[in-house]
Amino acid sequence: MGKTIIEKIMAKAVGKSEVSPGEYVQFSASRIDHPFILTGTDMSERFGKWKSQDWTLFDPSKIIFAPEHCGSYTRVGSTTTNRENHRRNSNWLKQLGVADENILELGRIGNCHHLAVEKALALPGSVYFSAMTDGHAITVGGVGCFGSCMSASAPAFLRTGWTWFRVPESIKFNITGKLQDGVMGRDVYEYILGQIGPTGAIYQVMEFTGPVMDSMSMDGRQSMCCLAMFTGAKTGIVNPSQGIIDFFKARTKVHFEPQYSDKDAKYIKTYNYDGSKIEPQVVVPPDRHLVHNIKDVEGTPVTNAFLGSCASGRDEDLRMAARILKGRKVHPKVLFNITPGSTDSMSRVDKEGVISTLLDAGCFICAPGCGMCPGFYTPLAKNEVCITSSTTNLPGRMGDESAQVYLGSAATVAASAIEGKITDPRKYL
Amino acid sequence: MALKFKGNVWVFGDNLDVDYEIVPFRKFDAGLIKLEDVGNWCMANVDPDFAKKVKKGDIMVAGTNMGCGHDHFQANLAIKQCGIACVIAESFDRNFFRNSIAVGLPIVELKGINEFAKAGNELEVDLHAGTINNLTTGKALKFTPFPDFLQEILEVGGMDPYADKLVAAGKVKK
Ligand code: SF4
Repeated sequence: MGKTIIEKIMAKAVGKSEVSPGEYVQFSASRIDHPFILTGTDMSERFGKWKSQDWTLFDPSKIIFAPEHCGSYTRVGSTTTNRENHRRNSNWLKQLGVADENILELGRIGNCHHLAVEKALALPGSVYFSAMTDGHAITVGGVGCFGSCMSASAPAFLRTGWTWFRVPESIKFNITGKLQDGVMGRDVYEYILGQIGPTGAIYQVMEFTGPVMDSMSMDGRQSMCCLAMFTGAKTGIVNPSQGIIDFFKARTKVHFEPQYSDKDAKYIKTYNYDGSKIEPQVVVPPDRHLVHNIKDVEGTPVTNAFLGSCASGRDEDLRMAARILKGRKVHPKVLFNITPGSTDSMSRVDKEGVISTLLDAGCFICAPGCGMCPGFYTPLAKNEVCITSSTTNLPGRMGDESAQVYLGSAATVAASAIEGKITDPRKYL
Repeated sequence: MALKFKGNVWVFGDNLDVDYEIVPFRKFDAGLIKLEDVGNWCMANVDPDFAKKVKKGDIMVAGTNMGCGHDHFQANLAIKQCGIACVIAESFDRNFFRNSIAVGLPIVELKGINEFAKAGNELEVDLHAGTINNLTTGKALKFTPFPDFLQEILEVGGMDPYADKLVAAGKVKK
């Protein structure tokens, strides 16, 4: 019987010839011979006792350390300065044997899930772990990698290299046709969420396939996988394209073996959607699963726009915003915060003139990282209304609890920033 | 700790988000809620008095997709700290499931629990045997117990003490 991509990746990672859904497996990091674990300042701060113990790391060479997981030191309401935390933690990790080049500094970083791919920690066919509180490690499903966050198991994992997994069932989402211009990977995911609801894929894997996925960029695939948790899924995953394999070959000397689902793999369900019919989607406050076609909410006034987070802020998102804003201005009443996901991404699109187009339009460009998603830089004030391409819209997530957060694609965010109200991006393309 | 519990049931609904229903994220992130006393905020947005009313050893019953949203383990700690001995739900969010084992909060995933256990019922749960008895109604349910290594993690109180054991036993590279 055939196997799904996730079953093949997990079997390989735990050294078994095959694994099946429902099985609990034990993983030992000694099987992986390249750096594949990312950790950051905030993790150790939340575990005060971590540092008071007489500690050893199971293998310092497999660990990359980055400032915050958010790529900044600017935490709203923080009582100690994160810069001090970072200094203390990086000194401490150094003592534990982490090499200088594995300790990243501002200027070489970004949001951790962007880093996982940019720094080739997450490789097609392999596993990648975030040793922080960071469920969006699943973003790397977009490059055909199984990503997982260790969260509360992180300290134990860093000490022992040992952890466990439950092998998930897979659901197949077959998306046919061709997306309209201005409809992005983000819209496809939200559309699916609207169809299957917040419990539609609990503890299961969402495997996205079909012609729409085949032609979707690596950036769009990552956006979709990043969000998979909002349908309850363990992760989203896409069989990697040749373009993705080439991207990693150019970035790393590490040998990797991409995995692909077998034709006769077993799925517990298959959904078929016609991608050409998908409209831009908007999630409305206060719940993460209230998904609408854009025409239902068009015209809703906004005071803020934010483009960024692990769900967005990649090359394609920044280019899309620049394409829409070129020769136009952000509405005078709107603060449009754009936070590129990583330094690499910002630098790449800068060479194409994207950043200066955005600046000319009146956007506020922040240092690469998570940006406003957890309330950094320009947190929402009382009663502000924001349209954003970030991950979630729970009350208080991006600032004051009275602020309203609408979620949409980078295209929708940019078009709405121009008009000061939720706007269908297709009219600007 | 033997993996056996007896306590009164508190019932909550479906889709409880770790950052809203279980612990208010903004207050936590702003440092207004400390990890040491996060138990006092457990379910504060649903029932502000819950942490005061709950008794040590009580049992929480939830619906589908328990602990959805981000993987913030303060939610699991809050439930454990406020005295809940065990959480039983129709289904769990994946991150919440893992974090519960990691912090040593016993959980049981069991379809039909909402029909079986009502608020105020007294339940007896045996994680090792895979049984739940409703002492109020006299009914019983069975479930597949966790594999031994997961039971052991819960028995010693979570992943940190378990790692201590592994390291002490020389089972991992030092
Ligand atoms: S962008 Fe938001 S959801 Fe993503 S890692 Fe940062 S804070 Fe978490």
